[in-house]
Amino acid sequence: MTRRPSMRPRRLFRTQWAVSMAAALAVIGFVGAAQWNSSLAREEFVSSAQLALVGQAEQLQRDQEQMLGELEQAEADLQVLQERDSGSQTALALLNERLLAARVAAGAEDMRGPGMVVEIADSLRDIPAGQPQSNYIVLVSDLRNIVTALWASGAEAISISGSLAEGAPSVRLVSTSSIYGSGAAILVNGVALSPPYRIEAIGPDGLRDRFLAHPASIDRVLPKVDAYGLQFASEPRDEVMVRGFVGSTGLRWGAPVEEPD
Amino acid sequence: MRRRAAQLSLAIVAVIVGVLLIGQLRSQAPAIELSGLSAQELSDLIGTLRAGNAQLSDALTDVRQQVSEYERLDVAGQSTLTLTGEDVIRFSAFAGLLAVEGQGIVMDIDGQFQPANVNDLIHELRNAGAEAIAIDDVRITASSVPVRGTGAIAIDGVEIGNPFRVTAIGSPDGLTAALERPGGILSLFEHEIDASWAIIQREHVTVPATQRDLTPQVAEPVE
Repeated sequence: MTRRPSMRPRRLFRTQWAVSMAAALAVIGFVGAAQWNSSLAREEFVSSAQLALVGQAEQLQRDQEQMLGELEQAEADLQVLQERDSGSQTALALLNERLLAARVAAGAEDMRGPGMVVEIADSLRDIPAGQPQSNYIVLVSDLRNIVTALWASGAEAISISGSLAEGAPSVRLVSTSSIYGSGAAILVNGVALSPPYRIEAIGPDGLRDRFLAHPASIDRVLPKVDAYGLQFASEPRDEVMVRGFVGSTGLRWGAPVEEPD
Repeated sequence: MRRRAAQLSLAIVAVIVGVLLIGQLRSQAPAIELSGLSAQELSDLIGTLRAGNAQLSDALTDVRQQVSEYERLDVAGQSTLTLTGEDVIRFSAFAGLLAVEGQGIVMDIDGQFQPANVNDLIHELRNAGAEAIAIDDVRITASSVPVRGTGAIAIDGVEIGNPFRVTAIGSPDGLTAALERPGGILSLFEHEIDASWAIIQREHVTVPATQRDLTPQVAEPVE
């Protein structure tokens, strides 16, 4: 009888304790799972000098992002102006038809059609002692091989994005596009992308089968996937949308040689 | 005793949560992806980003000037067809449908080349700012990739020679420096595939138009 009053606070304390522990364990579980899914292979020691360089690179990336947005808007404004003219409407229609064809050939238009999607990301395996880290991460050569296999298999338009997230920026491959690396960093058209990489391609029926059978895939990419556990998936799609190129299409060092009409 | 055990448990949990959170934040923050790079790699990256941003800035200026010119003619009630015609030429040249002439380099190169080596060379030139490239007489478009032909490397169905000639429009100094920098692509080729080369900078080179039809068969412009 005398114990009852003291039971309530103890029960309350136990409940609070249980709730706290459950919350803490939930946080550990969530963070642990997220941490497990991260690619540990890219983590390295960071010096203060590197941090200063990282700061510069990040600022340049922000500038790049802003200019790409402004350029996209300016191109859209230009297209609106190009679609109206006070002169001959027939001449305007013909010229705009030629302009559209040239923009399509240049990769400046958003395109859609049947095709396929490829996704590739770093391996989640622990790197055995003595083995090079580069075997377990996606390198420039892997992306170049995938793109080579796609073009050689009949792809008509390709874009690459550096994230699977909805709305992640995708970079259209055009005549001046470089897939370039600086260590583990991969730049496509000068835009730094990070894994997982998603490559979308429009092309005729059988694109995926030809892609998987192409030597650049079967002899170079897929063996690395098998040997080191790079995450890789590909699937055909009834419809793929590939965004138009945003960037410089002018010539600074040369001029077009116009053909006589 | 029980209370001390509880405090100890909480402390351990807090330490684990802290360590995991720091690890997670480090792996999620974009800065850390870059900080995985060495100082040399970061410097290269910064150089590439700077060059790319300069090109973007020029392109933005050009397009804004075009917009102003269209608006001026529009207000004056004059036709803008000539301006649009110039744009057709700009995109056609960019795509590879028109030949391009201007400053650049001509490089004759020899070695035990594989298609991937030629592909690497194309990407190196593009990254160095080449505006138009031809290998032998084949204009390199977006979809032009070197592949193993029946007897030699082929691009767009045309076999290239060994040695072969690379013609590129762009800054002669910039292109040469990018190709010949210590540890750069030509240095690698020299060691890996026994390559030898000669680069000539020229005030006037011509890169031919592609012989291919670039009209897509299944892809359609989005309305």
